[in-house]
Amino acid sequence: MHIRFRFAIRLATFAAALLPGLAAAQAQPASPATQADEQRQRGVDQPGNNAPVWRDVRSGSENYTSIHGRETGVLIQPQARFPGQANISTAGEAWRNFRNGPITFYGGWVLVLATLAIAAFYFAKGPLKLHEKPTGRLVERFSLLERWAHWTVAISFVVLALTGLSILFGKYVLLPILGYTLFAWLLTLCKYAHNFIAPLFIAGLLVMIVVYIRDNLPEKGDLAWFRGAFAMFWSGKHVPSGRFNAGEKAYFWIGVVALCITLSVTGVIMLFPNLDQVRTTMQQTNVIHSISAIVMTLFALGHIYVGTIGVEGAYQNMREGVTDETWAKEHHELWYNDVKSGKLAAKSGATPQVQH
Amino acid sequence: MKPIVLIAAAAIAAAGLAACMEVQQTATPVKQGKYQGKPDTAPWDNEPLAGGPKWNKGDRAGWEDQIKKRQLAQHEDRRIYQ
Amino acid sequence: MARMKFLVDAERCIECNGCVTACKNENEVPWGVNRRRVVTVNDGVVGAEKSISVACMHCSDAPCMAVCPVDCFYRTEDGVVLHDKDLCIGCGYCFYACPFGAPQFPQAGAFGLRGKMDKCTFCAGGPEKDRSESEFKKYGRNRLAEGKLPACAEMCSTKALLGGDGDVVADIYRERVVRRGKGSEVWGWGTAYGPGKAGGQPPAKGA
Repeated sequence: MHIRFRFAIRLATFAAALLPGLAAAQAQPASPATQADEQRQRGVDQPGNNAPVWRDVRSGSENYTSIHGRETGVLIQPQARFPGQANISTAGEAWRNFRNGPITFYGGWVLVLATLAIAAFYFAKGPLKLHEKPTGRLVERFSLLERWAHWTVAISFVVLALTGLSILFGKYVLLPILGYTLFAWLLTLCKYAHNFIAPLFIAGLLVMIVVYIRDNLPEKGDLAWFRGAFAMFWSGKHVPSGRFNAGEKAYFWIGVVALCITLSVTGVIMLFPNLDQVRTTMQQTNVIHSISAIVMTLFALGHIYVGTIGVEGAYQNMREGVTDETWAKEHHELWYNDVKSGKLAAKSGATPQVQH
Repeated sequence: MKPIVLIAAAAIAAAGLAACMEVQQTATPVKQGKYQGKPDTAPWDNEPLAGGPKWNKGDRAGWEDQIKKRQLAQHEDRRIYQ
Repeated sequence: MARMKFLVDAERCIECNGCVTACKNENEVPWGVNRRRVVTVNDGVVGAEKSISVACMHCSDAPCMAVCPVDCFYRTEDGVVLHDKDLCIGCGYCFYACPFGAPQFPQAGAFGLRGKMDKCTFCAGGPEKDRSESEFKKYGRNRLAEGKLPACAEMCSTKALLGGDGDVVADIYRERVVRRGKGSEVWGWGTAYGPGKAGGQPPAKGA
């Protein structure tokens, strides 16, 4: 059991380390036999010179200690270097500089600028409105299971994002306002919310991927949609698309599948510190987790915008599960045609039908 | 050289020096001797315990003096000073 | 101005774990937490075995302090890095960042859920009222406020572990290094395992 856990963690770390090309250059610890021989010889040649031992200490190798526990035999963490760092340093220091440096700085500004950009777009262009009057005839767009899966993931993601952002940026944004005591209470809540809502998020995510994957498979018209996407938001001219347009598919594959699964795996590695993972593993997973979380939050900001105030009628679709025929025709013409012709009933798990 | 060039060079040098500064990592600036809002009292601001080492309450120099004397007990060759 | 520091003399440490025990006893630290530990390099290799006692080193630029999301750390006027357990949320980031593995977390629930961080306080307690009951329960004894030095360093039998003002530590160690290598004056290794054997160091005078 124990060994299997350790293997699983190693495997996960390896896979995780490959993802963003994060190659923490780790100094190879001197092999114990050579180092001991060298030290023995040094003790004879130059009594009192323990350089080989100190080099070994610096390399972060595991040595004997009577204190039981993970890495208790390591005197100083191994060396590491995160992307963009000029010097190799102790893994903890490298992680600290990467987290407090690029992740906090660029991550924070990217989020602020993205929010401002969306706000500016909204006030400049306003929401995407329907061109024609609603017909009053409703078409089922999302089944109950699809809506449940969506809202479980959506609500838990928002909670996870807000608590996670507080953990990363709260010290700079909220702490000066709230003061130490109040902020610590808030962050204790955040930590527990983050830890205990995460399993719900993961469970919901798996259901959601299974439920939505079929209608998100790439199709022929997807590239054309991307070419027409800008014109759509600018002038409201739609490119015909199936049940999900290429933007939604990109959000599904990059955001929901790639990023959220990365977040889940790295999150679980950090959530259970009793799985025998070492500090280097946790530093790397933390970095991957933070970066994917910030990118996913950016995606989600866009998704929430177009799903609520950005596109007229979009929010009701996911809330009620039904959409007006006009909306369906304007936004997802190919899907609407399929529904009308009855072709889709067999294809889609949602079994859309025209209601009169 | 024109004064404007000199001023620009000085400004660039000053900005360059600023890059050498330690990036602020804590919410309140870490200053030696400041407790960053935590309510701890300094060790010398306590009344010495009966029978223990002696110093005058609030007398930092006196406290440090006796600590340093006491520390010499860690020196095997100079225990006679204790 | 005193600047508190630890120094461990690898020539002298005999891995008795007395410092570990003294720390546990003096501070009554929680079960499963060891604020100090002794690590032996080349364990069992005659002539190459060195032991080093390690705990929080009270860094000037402490990584734990930099990464703490609630900013619960502070540095006292005499250079001791302390933390406030009332603020600590048990996220474990200080443990990721610390080079020495000093921050420890008592398990606070199932699945290894971390409790409030615990680490060496240089026997200086925490932000509670000095020498109070609540300070003792959370952080252990406040020996600095009693005019004493950390228990581990004060009771080290071979005087391998020095703790206190950095200037005095440096003075003691400098004198020791100058005197070292004179056979009977050397404590630690040469004395404990006898001089002159294969690799036993340092060799006895004239051997």
